[in-house]
Amino acid sequence: MTLKNADKLASVEVIKHNFEQLNYICSLQIATAVFLAYHLGKPILIEGPPGVGKTELAKTTAELLDIDCIRLQCYEGLDESKAIYEWKYGKQLLYTQVLKETLSEILEGATGLAESVGKLHEFGDIFFSEEFLEPRPLLKALKNETGCVLLIDEVDKSDHEFESLLLEMLSDFQLSIPEIGTVKAHPDRKPLVFLTSNNTREISDALKRRCLHLYIPFPDANLEKQIIQARVPELAENLRNQLVTFIQELREMDLKKVPAISETIDWARTLILLHSESLNPELVSQTLNVILKFQEDIEAVDSELQTITNKALKGNQGS
Amino acid sequence: MVDTTLVDFVKALRNADLKVSPAETLEAMQCMNLVGYQDRRFLKDSLSMVLAKTTDEKDAFDACFNRFFTADKFRQAINDELDDDQGSDADNADDFDSDAEGNQPAGKGGQGGGKGGGESEASEDVTALPPTSALGKLLLQGSRAELMIQIAEAGREVEVNKIVVFTQKGLFTRKIMDTMGLKGLQDEIGELQNQNAKPEQQLAGRLKVARDQLRERVRDHVERQFFLHADEQGKQLREELLKKVKLSSLEKRNFKDVQEIVLKMAKKLIAIHSKRRKTYKRGQLDVRKTLRHNMQYDGMFFDLRWKASKVDRPKVMCICDVSGSVSNYSRFLLMFLYSLASILPKARSFAFSSDLGEVTKLFEESSLEDALSKTMRDYGNGSTDYGRMFQDFKSHCMDDVNNKTTIIILGDARNNYGDARSEILREMYDKAKRVIWLNPEPRSSWAVGDSEMKKYTAACHQTEVCNSLQHLERVVSNLLKTAS
Repeated sequence: MTLKNADKLASVEVIKHNFEQLNYICSLQIATAVFLAYHLGKPILIEGPPGVGKTELAKTTAELLDIDCIRLQCYEGLDESKAIYEWKYGKQLLYTQVLKETLSEILEGATGLAESVGKLHEFGDIFFSEEFLEPRPLLKALKNETGCVLLIDEVDKSDHEFESLLLEMLSDFQLSIPEIGTVKAHPDRKPLVFLTSNNTREISDALKRRCLHLYIPFPDANLEKQIIQARVPELAENLRNQLVTFIQELREMDLKKVPAISETIDWARTLILLHSESLNPELVSQTLNVILKFQEDIEAVDSELQTITNKALKGNQGS
Repeated sequence: MVDTTLVDFVKALRNADLKVSPAETLEAMQCMNLVGYQDRRFLKDSLSMVLAKTTDEKDAFDACFNRFFTADKFRQAINDELDDDQGSDADNADDFDSDAEGNQPAGKGGQGGGKGGGESEASEDVTALPPTSALGKLLLQGSRAELMIQIAEAGREVEVNKIVVFTQKGLFTRKIMDTMGLKGLQDEIGELQNQNAKPEQQLAGRLKVARDQLRERVRDHVERQFFLHADEQGKQLREELLKKVKLSSLEKRNFKDVQEIVLKMAKKLIAIHSKRRKTYKRGQLDVRKTLRHNMQYDGMFFDLRWKASKVDRPKVMCICDVSGSVSNYSRFLLMFLYSLASILPKARSFAFSSDLGEVTKLFEESSLEDALSKTMRDYGNGSTDYGRMFQDFKSHCMDDVNNKTTIIILGDARNNYGDARSEILREMYDKAKRVIWLNPEPRSSWAVGDSEMKKYTAACHQTEVCNSLQHLERVVSNLLKTAS
């Protein structure tokens, strides 16, 4: 498989470095996954809690390689007419009307039913040709001339049937359209496929077997600090450390939804807006709704705010 | 060689309950070719992506990888790759000297500390006197890699990977040592000891030390093999056994295992049954689909398409006898039902020994363990009274029973000669879709003593003997099947 800018994926270290240039800080595992996906020509199935940068990885890869990122958002009820292709039935109807009017001209000179039918057959199946085909994301990705990143987002939200539809695409990079035949990707321009899943339900084994499996957990404190540094560089180092320690503490707690990286970033931006220089219980209490999205979580944390804040402040001094 | 290592590894993974398909094995090989053996972490990450596809599997993979590719094996694999690279070989040899066994003079001199002062000059002499037996030569002069290969090969010869139980460890250690030529070594040591000359005596001593170390190492090897190949097999054996054993004879220490099995079974059932969906002819009209589909009829809409697809799941009401004699069965039935929560969302459960109480909420709010023990505590005491139970059910829940409800009653129907009230069961039978009675006792004793099973059987759609996990699984599976 050769894409333009392929040298940017030459080795794991190179990938990691390049991602960092684009402000996407990743662990070695993530870089390894991208490396393997490219060199083995296989899709990656990314799982992990929400907000750890699953979707972002696909987008960043597209940006890095400077190719299109075609995105297919999955939801319940998604079917082939929205994911693969659809016939432009409006256009087809219109053409039927036109054909009706010119029918007599076409059939002119034909005697007998058999001959008329024969003449009609000469038209072939124009109604089901590429002219009338409306490509949807999957087909678009296959037909892309320059290679592209195909992001199939939240595949766990789709139905089981849709998963089966994906299988042909993922293993052979081809799609079958009954009326036309098989559409295949150019062997050197296979799309780089990323699937993401929040694990709301188990993905079938058949699908998993065709993919590399990458699990992105919450980052450890160091990685998270780097991420914040890259994404919100204006935040003072002191506050950044406190912030990350605080969030790491929260993740240890038994909450309905623990804050993810995206929430940490939001919180960092909030603190900058408020011109804060250090965490204190009052400030945290006011801005808690940025990182916690359920009232019961906020209440649970609120009662222990003092302890956690102190820990964050102290942990920071220690380091 | 490299390929067989990988195949062995995949075998070990399968043993550890990972589902690895042949296609994935091939991919792992591609992956290994691409990644190489130089970077252990890199290789581990890569293989983990190809072979382990859930977080559970990833954990198992990590453990398995660490156990399988111990430092020895890993170096060996590198050696295979860098066959003629002398430099790296020497490195390895040095490595070997420094780790774990600094006190073994490796025939290079200079390292013989720990054995007293005269040793260092004597060691010069000893190197001049080479051991004669093959194993002795290997031990004192060969490199560690060679030794490990020898052990592995001897292991293969005696089929150490067929080890099943813990107690076989000694046997296999002995067998491997024998295959490697222990006898020759012993003879040599004996011979040397019979001679009085100093160098011979010293050589004998060193050979002895080396032999003991070899034994240790072989035992380690056997142990590793045991963990890789037998540990899980033993577990599987136990699981099979537990599935068949009578639930009442289970002991408390087995509960954890059984719970694991129940969860596994439930998972399997979920996987099978969650895919059954029916398209219902109700709901919203799907305009696009209808248009498209009816084009072939010249735009006449006579085959309508609907948007809604509905999942049809049984409404289950489960009444469990939790008095002493059958509490264990109830325990596992409840466990089963609640592990199926994702495909049986409407399960309601009741517990009784005399008074009936609903425990649905309890199970929703607390963990399975807590809920089970609370149920047992609150309802588990007292003598069984089925008549009372039916009456309670009639006054509280009969209105909720409709033609979609499946009622499962689990109990031995031993009513202490009280009023059976089978007419209420009859009423339930008429109203509900199905009434299933699960009785842990064998059919032959259903009409004996204070059992009212005969009366109740007449008012049930189905009665089953249910006294092991296997039975339970079958019942629940049938329940899901008839529903969809």
